[in-house]
Amino acid sequence: MRNVKERCFNEKETTTPINLKTTNMKTIHITLAMLFISFAAMSQKEQYYQAMGESLSQYATCKSMDDFQALGNKFSMIAKSTPDEWLPLYYHAHCYIIMSFMEPSDMNKKDALLDAAEISINKMLEITNKEADVYALQAMFYSGRLMVNPMERGQKFGMLASQAAGTAMGIDPSNPRARLIKLQNDIGTARFFGQDPKAFCDQAKELVATWDGFKPKSSLHPVWGKQQAVEITASCN
Amino acid sequence: MKNSIAFFLFLFSVGLSAQTTISGTVRAPKDGSLPGANVYLKGTYDGTSSNVDGKFSFKTQKKGSYVLMVEFMGFEPFSKELELTGSNIHLDVELKEKFNRLDAVTITAGTFEAGDKKQANHLSSLDMITTAGAAGDVFGALQTLPGTTTNGESGRLFVKGGDSDESQTYIDGALVHTPYNSSAPNTATRGRFNPFMFKGTIFSTGGYSAEYGQALSSVLLLNTNDMPSQNQLDLSILSIGAEMAVTKMKGNSALTASLGYTNLAPYMQLVPKNYQWQKAPESCNGAVSIRRKTGKTGMLKIYSSFDNGSFILAQLDLDQNKMIDYALNNRNFFVNASWKANLGEKTTLSSAASFTSDFDKVAFDGKHWDKELNGFHLKQVVSREMTNKVTVRAGAEWFSHLSEQIWQTPVDSFSNRVNNNVIAAFTEAEMYTSGRFVARIGGRVEYSDYLRKFNMAPRITAAWKLNENSQFSAAYGWFYQNPSDDYLFYTRWLGYERANHYILSYQSSEKGRTLRAEIYYKDYQNLVKQLTDEFYLPESYNNNGNGFARGLDLYWRDKKTIKHGDYWISYSYLDTRRNYRNYPETAIPNFASTHNLAVVYKHWFGKLRSLAGVNYRYSSPRVYNDPNSNNFNSMQTMAYHTLDVSWSFLFKPHIIIYGAVTNLPGFKQEFGRRFSSQPDESGIYQSTAITPGSGRFFVLACFITFTKKGDQNQLDKIQ
Repeated sequence: MRNVKERCFNEKETTTPINLKTTNMKTIHITLAMLFISFAAMSQKEQYYQAMGESLSQYATCKSMDDFQALGNKFSMIAKSTPDEWLPLYYHAHCYIIMSFMEPSDMNKKDALLDAAEISINKMLEITNKEADVYALQAMFYSGRLMVNPMERGQKFGMLASQAAGTAMGIDPSNPRARLIKLQNDIGTARFFGQDPKAFCDQAKELVATWDGFKPKSSLHPVWGKQQAVEITASCN
Repeated sequence: MKNSIAFFLFLFSVGLSAQTTISGTVRAPKDGSLPGANVYLKGTYDGTSSNVDGKFSFKTQKKGSYVLMVEFMGFEPFSKELELTGSNIHLDVELKEKFNRLDAVTITAGTFEAGDKKQANHLSSLDMITTAGAAGDVFGALQTLPGTTTNGESGRLFVKGGDSDESQTYIDGALVHTPYNSSAPNTATRGRFNPFMFKGTIFSTGGYSAEYGQALSSVLLLNTNDMPSQNQLDLSILSIGAEMAVTKMKGNSALTASLGYTNLAPYMQLVPKNYQWQKAPESCNGAVSIRRKTGKTGMLKIYSSFDNGSFILAQLDLDQNKMIDYALNNRNFFVNASWKANLGEKTTLSSAASFTSDFDKVAFDGKHWDKELNGFHLKQVVSREMTNKVTVRAGAEWFSHLSEQIWQTPVDSFSNRVNNNVIAAFTEAEMYTSGRFVARIGGRVEYSDYLRKFNMAPRITAAWKLNENSQFSAAYGWFYQNPSDDYLFYTRWLGYERANHYILSYQSSEKGRTLRAEIYYKDYQNLVKQLTDEFYLPESYNNNGNGFARGLDLYWRDKKTIKHGDYWISYSYLDTRRNYRNYPETAIPNFASTHNLAVVYKHWFGKLRSLAGVNYRYSSPRVYNDPNSNNFNSMQTMAYHTLDVSWSFLFKPHIIIYGAVTNLPGFKQEFGRRFSSQPDESGIYQSTAITPGSGRFFVLACFITFTKKGDQNQLDKIQ
């Protein structure tokens, strides 16, 4: 998450195209005028990048449900101000799914948090076309629904989660979050059937080894998940 | 030039420096300060969240008119236009709780809902399937709920002192004319429908909506599954038969076709039995179901099934004192179609239609009795959300019912026929005054062209939420039903039978535990009375029968106390009397038992990948009539006990093994006595006990699912 911020600011620098050396006063005048206009015109996009960059940098410091609530609020605001971008919706849903995992016992609250995540996921599915990360998050959302009441929901939501993970893998088999969620599902199933989840250790190790090889499409695209993959490999030893 | 540069720089710096600080507090009406609320300027990236004390503060460089938004889950969003000038703004905001129908009070009087949507449901759809003893029968599972009386020799639903024909079953809004399989006299039947077809069930034991007519006691509303998710092939191999189902998806449509065969003959060879089957029950059935998404919100569902079953049972004829063969052949064809779609955001249209053709061919002792029923139901409902607190529904329906019977004896033959069309219209409004109070007021009118009479039925129900976890609910209404075909065959000079319901119910649920208590009174009027033994004469009948039923139903469900365990206890107390049919006087009807108890327990053994279920049911003795006695309905049956167990084991991801035993300890069960129609030479009516087909019943089954991925299974079928 930290390098997201860095990458974000780098990109900002490239968006200020002025060269003062070769200009006379008139051109400076015009350039300044253009700068002013472009500042106004660019500002929406730039502010979006800045707001997203700042919000993403907060992930690392989020510990409590309150932290994730505050972060989720930011993404909700950004999503509303930038309705054609899917990434703020993605992170909004992600925060709410995490909150539902963190909620200790209140089943109704868990569901209410997931209801909020679901709205963002559905909006995302409308405005995106085949994004592996969207389906990977949807798989995580279904796992959240399952966790509310595993005994009664196990079958239905286990199936939906594995289908969404499958769709994500179908779109981009190299997407590390799609691979992670698929792996987590497979390990869960293996445990359930009393099989040794260590059978998946090689896959987990390979996932960790190749994790950084996956290049996100932009500085704002999801990068999370490596830690979880490392934790899986840690349990192998 | 310099000036202009200075001017731009000035503008620039003004833009940077003139910040407005917006601060304040967010509160909720009851809870005081509201932490975590999202506070921001609409259309910008400037905002913050309220802190632990509900306080917020943020800076913005924006100038002019902006809308401040304050939002939090479960509350109505707050908005206020602000003029940003650079001077600080302070505001205190109180958010109103959002009105959410899902969290609001719900009408529970008389109603049991099974589904997966809400935590508050009494039963999940899995419960309908996994209840030990029900052995996959919808009606069997419902008999573990309060308000029902178990009649072991019938298997049908008897609700709150009502006879079994006072209950109606609907699938996706359309009437099911023949919900039960045909059976021999005094033998238990089962529902025709596979419970795995349904995603949700509403079982109303009284006080139901004006949408439902032609039922004096209860309605069972079954909602079929939506789109399946993938192509698959299901094989079910049971100790008593086999079934195969194929599901194929294509675009917005899905098709499922199934074929099943059941034969009890091999099973009957293995176990001791009370009945003499000359030919054990055998049936062959096929079903096709189509699901299609229409437009953005529409869903079309069509289900059709064909079933052909037969058996020959030897029963003792008490008049001739010899065994005679009772042979039955049943052919049933059923189509159900429904379409539901949103018309804009506030209006929902639902159409439903069903057609049933049922043919029973009965032969015994050289006599033939053919019964044919052709039933049709068409319904259109419009529902409109007038405001977020008021919904109005209106609809019209047409029931057509053509029933014929032909009797043939070696010397004689006669036939009867009823062709009855009922046209009905209903409307009702559901109004919330707040999240704490809701009322539903409606009415229904019906006209029958056979009876040539109208009826008009008001229905009213309301619910008050006392606090977060508990609520009261009350219902009142008039309910009408056509007299049974058994009478209409001989006369059309009868009116509707009627029951008035008064129900008061209390429910409290908290964290996986639910307690429910309900008292009710039912006033039966205009019941058909048969005055003479000459059943074929129209003047033998009138509508002067009456009766009442009153009682207390208790239900306790606890999913919390025992880890991986889940149980419920139902108890019903019933006090009822009737003077109807051929009763010489007011008496307790023979289907009613005063005390009914069901205890259902399920346990999930994670390590064994098994779900075990055990259930115990008790019914206090019922009455029956002994023609040798001077007092009507004065004899008592034995009390009924049964203890059933079931075990489902997930053997492989796609293979499930299931076993169940009903009446494991082999409790002696007897449902009264059957008497000869004429006294013998010594003036005594001979009799024999009515018993179930076997002391215990075993089922062993294996469910296999094939999909492309290979790890799908039919766990939802039995877990």
